[in-house]
Amino acid sequence: MMKRCEELRDRIGAWMDGELSRSGAEEVRVHLESCPACGEQRRQLEKLQASLKAVLVAGPSNVSFERFWFGVEQRINRKPVWHEDFFGWVHDLLTPPQLAWLVPAVIILVLTGVFSLESFFPGSRLAVQRNNFAAVESIDGFGRNVALLREDETKTTIIWLYQNQEGEDESTGEKSESSPSF
Amino acid sequence: MEFSDWDLVQKCQAGETSAFQELVSRYQQKIFMVVLGLLRDREDSMDVAQEAFFRAYRKIKGFKGGSSFYTWLYRIAVNMAIDAQRRQKRNPLEFRENMDEVLEEQNELEKDPFSNAHDKELRAGLFAAINDLTAEHKAVIILRTVEGLPYKDIGEILGCSEGTVMSRLHYARKKLQGKLKAFL
Repeated sequence: MMKRCEELRDRIGAWMDGELSRSGAEEVRVHLESCPACGEQRRQLEKLQASLKAVLVAGPSNVSFERFWFGVEQRINRKPVWHEDFFGWVHDLLTPPQLAWLVPAVIILVLTGVFSLESFFPGSRLAVQRNNFAAVESIDGFGRNVALLREDETKTTIIWLYQNQEGEDESTGEKSESSPSF
Repeated sequence: MEFSDWDLVQKCQAGETSAFQELVSRYQQKIFMVVLGLLRDREDSMDVAQEAFFRAYRKIKGFKGGSSFYTWLYRIAVNMAIDAQRRQKRNPLEFRENMDEVLEEQNELEKDPFSNAHDKELRAGLFAAINDLTAEHKAVIILRTVEGLPYKDIGEILGCSEGTVMSRLHYARKKLQGKLKAFL
């Protein structure tokens, strides 16, 4: 099947509905006159449309609407219940086109979730990768601290010992060192 | 003198229930037809249609006339019918029975548009094929076929663009055509 036929076949339904622009409609019309395969497609769509109309429109011919207003009026006069209003409001909020607010809300929620995931699940693979730099408490009574720097990929752990300057000042009164000692 | 929809809406917003009654009588049949197209059950459709008018009545004070009254009303009814259809799909046995009832009722109609055996098969196949469509695809087919609404209005009712309506209609028809190939 020619590419042109494929493209135009997708538009035959819209053409039948009169929803194409003047130039688009003319293009389809001219093609249908010259292409028997697309003409057959048009015939099938027309038969489908006619059958649908017959099925969907013929149904309720013997339905009475005499008591229709009565049913609506009964609902209007019924005492409203609070939860109906509430659920109605929630339902409206979740129905297009009001649903549009949900898209940015979900994006914000996902971003917030990813960035805060690490605090809930520290070992999670989903959490954003950061340096595994962790400080631990003093390991002796001389104000020394130790920090660990772990690199998962190379399985390397660096133990970094350094002086606690404030602690040293308080305990010894000596001038503090700014560089860590290894 | 006949009032326009917008005149009646304004009267209704001022508290005249009789104006709403006039709006109901104008649109009850159309709304019922659309809902019936989606649900294929008369009792359920009548109930959903009445409930849709009731909801419209409750919300009418918030209607500013940004769209036409009928697209606004259709939007309420179609959304309710789609919800009801989803509930119905969860109970397919009941739906099957309802559909058989509709088929029987149509057989009893004096002017049956499907008079010969081949066409009766086509009708049964159509019902089954329509039932297999998604709620969104079914809605565009109903609004276009039963009501003959333009794509722009269908888009307003369903809360989507004209392009989406065109695409949904195309795929819905393609699915129906595929399932009914032997009859077309």
